[in-house]
Amino acid sequence: MIDNNLIGSSVLSVLIFLPLIFAAVILLWPQKNTVRELAFGFSIIQLAVSLFMLKDFNSATAALQFVEKFSWIERFGISYFVGVDGISVMLVMLTTVLMPIMILGSWKSIDQKLKGFHVALFVLQSAMLGSFLALDAVLFYVFWELSLIPMYFIIGIWGGSRKIYATVKFFIFTMTGSVLMLLAIIFMMRLTPEVTGGAISASLLDFYKLKIPFIGNDFFTPQTLLFFAFAGAFAIKVPLFPLHTWLPDAHVEAPTPGSVVLAGVMLKMGTYCYLRWVIPLFPEASSHFAWLFISLGVIGIIYGALVAMIQPDVKKLVAYSSVSHMGYIILGLFVLNVYGVNGALYQMLNHGVSTGGLFLLIGMIYERTHSREISKYGGLASAMPIFTIVFLIVTMSSIAVPLTNGFIGEFLILLGAYNYSPLVAACAVIGVVLGAAYMLWMVKKVFFGPAGEIVTQSLHDPEHALHDLSLREFSVMAPILILILWMGLFPNTIMNYSKASVDYLLANRQNYSLSILQDSSKDTLEEAK
Amino acid sequence: MNVTIGLADLLLISPIIVLFLFSLVPLITKVTNNNQEQKPAATLITALMGLGISAGLLILFGGSDQTIFNGQLLFDGLTKWAGLITIISAAAGLVMMYENPSTHYEQFSEIVFLALNSIAGMLVLISAVNLITMFIGLELMSLSLYLMIAMSQEQKLSKEAAIKYFILGSVASAIFLYGVSFVFGSTNTVNITELIQIGTATIQSNKLFLFGITFIVVGFCFKVSIAPFHAWTPDVYQGAPTPITAFMATAIKTASFAAFLRIAATQVFQGSQGLIDVIQWLAVVTMIVGNVAAIIQTNFKRTLAYSSIAHSGYILVGVLTVGLSANSAYSAASVLFYLLTYSVMTIGAFAVLSMIEKSETDFVTTESLAGFAKKQPTLAFCLAIFLFSMAGLPPALGFFSKFYLFGAAVNEGLIWLTLWGVINSAIGVYYYLRPIIVMYMKDGSADISSPKLYASTVLVVTAALFIIIVGLFSGPLFSMIERSLS
Repeated sequence: MIDNNLIGSSVLSVLIFLPLIFAAVILLWPQKNTVRELAFGFSIIQLAVSLFMLKDFNSATAALQFVEKFSWIERFGISYFVGVDGISVMLVMLTTVLMPIMILGSWKSIDQKLKGFHVALFVLQSAMLGSFLALDAVLFYVFWELSLIPMYFIIGIWGGSRKIYATVKFFIFTMTGSVLMLLAIIFMMRLTPEVTGGAISASLLDFYKLKIPFIGNDFFTPQTLLFFAFAGAFAIKVPLFPLHTWLPDAHVEAPTPGSVVLAGVMLKMGTYCYLRWVIPLFPEASSHFAWLFISLGVIGIIYGALVAMIQPDVKKLVAYSSVSHMGYIILGLFVLNVYGVNGALYQMLNHGVSTGGLFLLIGMIYERTHSREISKYGGLASAMPIFTIVFLIVTMSSIAVPLTNGFIGEFLILLGAYNYSPLVAACAVIGVVLGAAYMLWMVKKVFFGPAGEIVTQSLHDPEHALHDLSLREFSVMAPILILILWMGLFPNTIMNYSKASVDYLLANRQNYSLSILQDSSKDTLEEAK
Repeated sequence: MNVTIGLADLLLISPIIVLFLFSLVPLITKVTNNNQEQKPAATLITALMGLGISAGLLILFGGSDQTIFNGQLLFDGLTKWAGLITIISAAAGLVMMYENPSTHYEQFSEIVFLALNSIAGMLVLISAVNLITMFIGLELMSLSLYLMIAMSQEQKLSKEAAIKYFILGSVASAIFLYGVSFVFGSTNTVNITELIQIGTATIQSNKLFLFGITFIVVGFCFKVSIAPFHAWTPDVYQGAPTPITAFMATAIKTASFAAFLRIAATQVFQGSQGLIDVIQWLAVVTMIVGNVAAIIQTNFKRTLAYSSIAHSGYILVGVLTVGLSANSAYSAASVLFYLLTYSVMTIGAFAVLSMIEKSETDFVTTESLAGFAKKQPTLAFCLAIFLFSMAGLPPALGFFSKFYLFGAAVNEGLIWLTLWGVINSAIGVYYYLRPIIVMYMKDGSADISSPKLYASTVLVVTAALFIIIVGLFSGPLFSMIERSLS
């Protein structure tokens, strides 16, 4: 395909590799004190590129778009194969939208080794985009693992007091899951000659054709084992109860931008991969073991909420609320109906925006007071009224109050769960109630009621005076507030992008294959080879 | 038997002859100059020239699939690639020896003499297709090495290591030779090419032959430190001067594995399920012992020693794959590729370690690396790359070589063995991350011993670039190795 518009045809490669170039430029940048501005500018460029991609994105088809395929390791049929469809497009946008917000949000909190930090952030962005866009198993694995390294350094270098424990735990957990997936990938590659006519291949589209045999009640059958190898790796990333223990540690110890990127994007890599890899590749096993994932999801929802309730530390509370929210997403995915999957996909974005927002807000207050103990706060509303309002709105989104984005996602998931089984929906609804309880309880203790230790001190001691949101901080939060309301009021504008792909996935789950849209401006479809 | 030596024979063996001649140059120069040590730089350049010429000749004549001296030595793709890997590792080892405090003083020309002879022995070992010739190569390689280990002047551990290695190594050689005698007694031949035809059938019917092959396998297992024959490895690696350790961990291991590969490629293992099972368990035990023991080490050199044991376990999986596979070019290429990768990253890691050592008796613990990233950002970053690569994380080369190796094993149906392999890779991550944590996340004042270690710096940076660049584009190199083997 020869396209006159060079960027138009290779926009995905630009998206993936531009951050690496940015990282290199930042590394070689001579002035230390302008690194932040430079990085912020780069992240805006990256956002612009992704908007450019979105403009040309055809939401009417389930086919893969902007596809690029080059042979990489020819001997094993491994190729550089990227493409975007309705399932991945919004997650790509989430990644590029959160990036400038994160850089702006870390303006003050990161004050040492600035270069290294921003280099890690851009490498991480590249790896995350790569994992969302890769359509080749080995390429995907490379990006998936690459994303661990920068995150490992972000937590380990710029983190809190127990940073080393947290970062090692994070790394080992995720790595253990992924090596089994690697074995599964090798095994599936070995099977591909059956469908490609002799040549070994690592292409996802060839994997889709494999139709690995499934025998219901026998655990040691290929599809079941492969299903668990993949699903297990992703479950650790999500994280699904009982594999979640690394997440609270990582969240609490990570610096604010680390928490934001972890909650906002990295966890979504896990849930996204269920839609891209697990459910279409192992359709029978996914249905057969759906009960397991649904139960673990529901247990996660309730368990996460209950544990969040007793946390004395705000950040830990939000971290456990993440476990609970990710439980909803797994629930939505595995009920395998149109409400549930759409809701889950929407909830991935919501969680990125609202939990990301909460972590940013907690970071802002921590910069002022150096404390996250709920018991030390109280009466903050009088000292920081604007901050309080912003925090309340984000909280409303997190507990799924109507008119905010969270409501749409959770409602759809619960609707899907009800269609699957009313009992499951009933259990999940308990989580909604508990979620409202712990968040509002925390808001009440922190912002209202009698003035706590910190607020009292700020009144008497001008050195510890609490300033309300600065202009920079407000501009960090403004896009998040806009997104919360926009996604709550006009969900269709977002869902339209994924509708075709989700419908297609659910309708053709047993016999899934993806076609490639040759030219994004025309509707010429061609079957993938 | 009528033996005539023709020009072709001499041409093919020229890489070995060149090494021997060049090894004499520094020694003779020293003797004729009143036993005065010449400039180490000149000695190093002579040695590197010798290695370069030898490598060039090996590339030129190596892959021609000809046997010489009445079927004693075979110059095929395996000889060529394994030979190149050992020569490159040895060259890197010599560069490190030149700048390490324990090896570059009064005895550098002796060390170079021994090293070049050891490499000549390795080339004999790699190219031998006759078990007796193989033994001669093995001994030439090992005897030179025993002396090199003892070279450190002040370090008592070095003497202890040398004696320990010498005694255990001699026992292993004896076991190997004992095995050879059984093979000869039961089949009337010591020629490996003849074993290809009769081996598989004989091993089923003849217990003596099985016995002999098992002993040969055990002999190799000792040389490449497969558990439970690994006990010497940590002590010897720790006691030897670091550059010599690097030389042992890479060149010696590559050469021994190449010869092991030759035995495996006769497909003789296929006749005995018992032997296959034993080798599988040896591989599993080696991976577990290496990885688990590495976790509890505090001395960085010992950590690397146990890591090298673990890597031997992975490579043994590959050797077994070759032993079982009908299409052994792919499997053998994956083993050679792994050996190459392993050598480059091991050399790199040891080179950084060797630069940090301030004196002969200096032990670098993992904790003492604190602050290294601040003092030497480039070297710390390179060390991090080597460690990530050893842990098998993409996009470093270590990942792709593991991918090829395990892919070959899955191809032969060794799925549960591969499962052990990947689980062990995950365990390994824990201790490979530790030095990185210490370097980057803790404060301290670790620094290199002298700012003038230019050659080692170049070596480290080249190795790191190799890991990343070849890592991203590993396909062509792998195909090249595979083609020359088929």
